[in-house]
This record gives sequence, structure tokens and C-alpha cells, in this order.
Amino acid sequence: MDFHLKLVVPSDPRFLSIARHVVSEVSAICGLPDEARQGVTLALDEAVANVIRHAYKNRNDQEIELDCQANDERIVFRLLDEGEPPDPARICGQPLDDVSLSGRGTHLMRAIMDEMSYKQTSGKNELRLVKNLPRAQVSPAGG
Amino acid sequence: MQRTMAASTRSAGEITIVDLVGQIDLGSSPALRKTLLNSLKTTNHMAINLGGVSYIDSSGIASLVEVLKEAQNTKKRLVLFGVGGAVFQVLQLTRLTGIFEIAQTEEQVLHG
Repeated sequence: MDFHLKLVVPSDPRFLSIARHVVSEVSAICGLPDEARQGVTLALDEAVANVIRHAYKNRNDQEIELDCQANDERIVFRLLDEGEPPDPARICGQPLDDVSLSGRGTHLMRAIMDEMSYKQTSGKNELRLVKNLPRAQVSPAGG
Repeated sequence: MQRTMAASTRSAGEITIVDLVGQIDLGSSPALRKTLLNSLKTTNHMAINLGGVSYIDSSGIASLVEVLKEAQNTKKRLVLFGVGGAVFQVLQLTRLTGIFEIAQTEEQVLHG
């Protein structure tokens, strides 16, 4: 079963819980087990938080587009924003050799998701996060 | 499930216990940081109960780390307990399980 869902949230931390809820439910519909679902929710939360903090410099009046496209094999999440482009080094994630506080969000995304990539699309920043699904796990309608 | 974060403080002998409930994210972690640092000022031994925390992200973990560093700098003791699956998963993924003193239960904190 293929589906596409799109959500636009304000760049306001108060709306992170809404994004998490949507991602969690999408993951459940796609049949991800609980631990993987929690991980994907965390990864997307970190991604949206990074957009708020770094792309929009904590401005709460901007928009973040969360696009979810799923099929039997994978869920592809895309985050689009019109803020400042990220530092390529930050996208790569930092080594966790010490107790530094920065970069752990990106590290979490890389550790949890199967693919992570960035590009610019029509003047917007696009972060693409992919989670592969266990075989044939999309729940039937109404499930 | 509580969506927002709430914190309450109590004492058990010389130990200050901060009970946290709800979800800790970019929106609530600044308030968490402030609450914990303020509580730490008034005690030499603080225990943070994470049993009611249903979600925490890296900003929440960063707040805990910052409080830990302050505790270490001021020669105070900080213990976490009630570290459930969701919180422990994030601590593991960020490779920070080893830097905190973690107890299983409040009983262990009080008598361990």
C-alpha cells in the first residue's frame, strides 16, 4: 500500500509534539515495531528541532514542511524549510568521543535511520530520512 | 500520556528528589535545565526521577548533562533513577549511559 502525507508545522517548539505524533502514527500504519517506531519518532523530532534552531535561528514564525511517502518497502520522510542552509559538517554528525553537547541530534538521526541526505530543492533546504520496513508490514485499512 | 513536562521537588533526608513527568523536548528542556540547576543550588545530593518521562530528545539529555557537569564542578552528587525504555534508549544511542550514576529505584537511591 502506497500513501503520501504532508504536514506543515510552525517553527515553534510547541508543535514538536504534533510532528512526533504524526510520525509515530505513520510508522505504526507501516507496521514498524514499537522500538523502531520510537526511534523514527525521535529521529524526526531531532530533525525538526534542528531546523528550528539552526535553519530558522529559533524564529517561531516560519514554516517547516514534513512530507511522508510510504510503500511496502520504506518510509521516506522529507523535511523542507526556507531557512539558512546547514553546515555540511553538521549534517555529517560529530564523533561522540566526549561529552560535548552539540551534534548529538544529528548523530541520533544517522544511528536510527537507514538513509540520510541533504540537498537544496527550489531554493529550500531538503533533508531526506529513510526507514526501511520489515517485509510486508503495512497494516490493513482500519487496523 | 502527559504531553507537557512537569517537575516537582521533594526531600528525603538530605537528598533532594526531582520528579519529572511528561515529554522533554526542545520546547521544555530550557525550563528543565533551569529547574534542575536551581534545585542543585540548595542541596549536595540530588536525585532525578525519570520514571514519569515518556519521551526525551537530545536537548533534554543535554540539559541533564549540563546539570551533571555543574554537580561535578561543585562536588555534589547527582543520580538518575526510574530510567525507562525510551529514556535509556536515547542515553544508549548518545553513548551517555556511562557518565551518569543510575539507580534502578528510589529505594536504591535512598539506601544504596
